[in-house]
Amino acid sequence: MIRAIAIHTLRESLRKKTLHVLIGLSIFIMAVLPAVPTTDEPDARVKMILVVFFQVVVLLCITGVILLSATSLPHEIEDKTIYGILSKPVSRIRIVVGKIIGFTLLSAILLVVLGLFNLVSLQYRASDLPEEYRGIVKARSEFVASHFSIQGTVHHARQGIGWIAGGRSGVARWQFSHIKKPPEHASGFEVEGNLKIESSRGFAGTIPLMVRVENEISGRGKTEVISANVDKPFILKIDPAIVQENTTLNITAFPVLATDYLGVTPMDVKVFLIQKGFLSNYGKAVLLTFLKFVLIVIIAVMGSTYLSAPVSIVAAFVVFLCGHILDFIKDFSLLMQDHHAHEHAIPGVLKTPNMFLIYMDYLIKKPLEWICFIFPDFKRFDSLKFLLKGINIPFETVGVSFGYTAVYAGVCLFLSAMILKKREFF
Amino acid sequence: MDSYAIKTEGLTKVYKDFWHRKSTSALTNLNLTIGRGEVFGLLGPNGSGKTTTIKLLLGLLFPTSGKSWVLGAPSGDLTVKRKIGFLPEESYLYKFLTAEEILDFYAKLFDIEKKERKRRIDALIRAVRLDHVRKRPLNQYSKGMLRRIGLAQALINDPELVILDEPTSGLDPIGSREMKDLILEFKRQKKTVVLCSHLLADVQDVCDRIAIFNKGVLQVTGTVKDLLSQNDAIEFVVKNLSQDDIQAVKAFVESRKGNIVSIDHPSSTLEDLFVSIIEHR
Repeated sequence: MIRAIAIHTLRESLRKKTLHVLIGLSIFIMAVLPAVPTTDEPDARVKMILVVFFQVVVLLCITGVILLSATSLPHEIEDKTIYGILSKPVSRIRIVVGKIIGFTLLSAILLVVLGLFNLVSLQYRASDLPEEYRGIVKARSEFVASHFSIQGTVHHARQGIGWIAGGRSGVARWQFSHIKKPPEHASGFEVEGNLKIESSRGFAGTIPLMVRVENEISGRGKTEVISANVDKPFILKIDPAIVQENTTLNITAFPVLATDYLGVTPMDVKVFLIQKGFLSNYGKAVLLTFLKFVLIVIIAVMGSTYLSAPVSIVAAFVVFLCGHILDFIKDFSLLMQDHHAHEHAIPGVLKTPNMFLIYMDYLIKKPLEWICFIFPDFKRFDSLKFLLKGINIPFETVGVSFGYTAVYAGVCLFLSAMILKKREFF
Repeated sequence: MDSYAIKTEGLTKVYKDFWHRKSTSALTNLNLTIGRGEVFGLLGPNGSGKTTTIKLLLGLLFPTSGKSWVLGAPSGDLTVKRKIGFLPEESYLYKFLTAEEILDFYAKLFDIEKKERKRRIDALIRAVRLDHVRKRPLNQYSKGMLRRIGLAQALINDPELVILDEPTSGLDPIGSREMKDLILEFKRQKKTVVLCSHLLADVQDVCDRIAIFNKGVLQVTGTVKDLLSQNDAIEFVVKNLSQDDIQAVKAFVESRKGNIVSIDHPSSTLEDLFVSIIEHR
């Protein structure tokens, strides 16, 4: 029964011109991407393909899904086709669940089809990337330095960057104290450095750099001289023999030549555990995006159980927008709450409580707090930040997002059932 | 098993405005019982409460006060809806689907298994004479064709109780006749039929009992024969009588203090004439 309504909803949606236009626009945008000029960075094109898909194409598809899911039930009521269903042995909540599943299926189809198109394009573009830029098409777990120090002399410091001169007068040292034994499916560790370099000699953009990776507990290590480029990160594979159990890794670096200089900060060097392939990571990113679709579908359908089609569309878009700026809303409400939080905040200017402040409290601050509490946080489904850095999306993130969506869906379904139970169809 | 198909007790519906103030009294204190196997007509002008009654029985609306039961269960009960077929006053159908697809969709809502679904769909499409357009989307159907497919969807579950709201609306005379024949067939099959119409001739032709509504109030109820018969008058229909014989009968009636209201040739209905012309050519 629910299946019949779901398939019917999907079939009806697939015939809507609104969807055709938005899908056509999405494909057009992805198709013209190769012709769009980019910066000179070798991975700029790949980044652009990712950004356009996960922001522009997904936004277009979500727009389409909102337009359809927010209007489906109101149109059924307006056209009175709902009589045909309600006069059959179908409970009202089953209609809602059927609609939600139908639009969820639609979202899945859109994401799979357009996602595959995007993936093929991405793999094609990434195939000729130089090794130091291939991090974007990997799935890695990131480790940041737990301790950073400069041993020896700091030549000079500028804008938070410590500069050391070559020839062992100063050595930068990053310590990673929480490196775990790599799991069986992982293919090892690598070090990625984004260091600033300068030189007082005739300088062609590269300097020789001495880098040592050492296991602090076992004492095993490896020293390499690499050619550091002024505008390229360096990638250094770590010998699997160095990290075989939970340990602390020390990474030290200094310019080989006394005429060269190295600018360092604690975040310049990171260690990555290379997890499963990029495909699995991309799949997780698409799954997170799918959960975002599911959530907005549930919200739109819930709204449509009570609201008319246009109001329902506006409400769904407002929730979607607010769900992306909850941090801002929270900050704003906190700013209003604490009189001394910010010198330019209105309550800060008006030192003594008065009617204006009380009204502000009830008209703006409280509603904002409620919005933060009630509205879904769509930013938690943001997978682009992981993909752009080639960071493996942790299963915990996917699991928590899944649970969040399930809880939210449960609450929305309960409310929909309550609303629809009381609703009359004239 | 209860002997009644439909029963209402003090059923009242008052529509409220946005501010929940009483605005329109659509139905007032309806007490009605419709027996199983009966063909029952709901009559009345537009806005008299017929459709409101049907919506209350189907659970589309909730009563302001009073109660109603359908096939022994409270109105809106899902198990009872398995036994109800409903044809709304207009064909509210998904126009992008074909006849086959829409019947398949509604059949699935009754959890009818695939093989049986196919059998019923084929039979119903043939019964409503839409076999030649079964693969055509409904947005290409005429009003009469939509009415027929609407009827087919109401019968997809082989219902015990058939509720027909203005069933002949949009149908040509042939279609109207077929609809009436179908209702009589339901009667033979001991199905209960609730027929809602303002076309009095349709109701008169097929209904056992009728109820007449006005301004949301049930005015009168009873069998068609009881309500229409004039007990103080007698009608003879005689063939092969000469003018002299007619004058003799007339004189005899007057001699017995009888008051002759009219002497005329009986006429057929326009519908009968239309059907006979179309069917013979």
